[in-house]
Amino acid sequence: MDADPEKISLDARVRRHVYDQVIGEGLPPTIAETARALARTTDEVKLSFRRLADAHILVLQKEGEEILMAAPFSAVPTPFPVTVGERRYYANCIWDALGIPSMLKQDAVIDASCGCCGTAMRLEVGGGGGGGGSLLAQDMGGRAHFAVPAARWWDDIVFS
Amino acid sequence: MLLFWSEEHVSKWCRDWNLPRGEVLALDTCWLLARAWFNADRREPSWRRRTVDEAEALFAELGLTSPFWRLTR
Repeated sequence: MDADPEKISLDARVRRHVYDQVIGEGLPPTIAETARALARTTDEVKLSFRRLADAHILVLQKEGEEILMAAPFSAVPTPFPVTVGERRYYANCIWDALGIPSMLKQDAVIDASCGCCGTAMRLEVGGGGGGGGSLLAQDMGGRAHFAVPAARWWDDIVFS
Repeated sequence: MLLFWSEEHVSKWCRDWNLPRGEVLALDTCWLLARAWFNADRREPSWRRRTVDEAEALFAELGLTSPFWRLTR
């Protein structure tokens, strides 16, 4: 992360805006939307997105400079839709899907499916989602598979 | 990190895709990991990513102590 206080301050404001938008609207903002909201130039926002990506806070789209992931949220539809109240989010993986009710501290329903055979697997988080939350009893075993060792997650975070 | 119906489905997926088997967590453990990992509000100015030591300590609290969970190479 750049040590320039002005850039650090901008990056904190951009991070706040990104999460405000994705939590409130279900999708992260574009570069143009962020620039308008923060009264900055698109070049300044592009550079901020890049610094946040270099710090592993955001993941940018490979063919462009827009946001792909603001963990635990995805900017594009995935096999991990998470419903919180009347809002629909998409998570990047099963860890992130469970992370959304954890971060929002709200109950949630995750309409996922088996990565092998596609069988529907609905998971429910109750108790307010956060520290007092719980994964409600399931009628199936269910397993989460971490294919890549932790030290290599960021070699290709999209695959991980 | 994908979701599977059972251990057997993880094994079949790894065979089908010719990928080595990684680590398999029960959903209860994955939930505890997610709850701890994403508990903080990332909108807060004071939020920061965990250090490597902090992340490994969190893994250890959940019994994730094998070399697979080490963040340093």
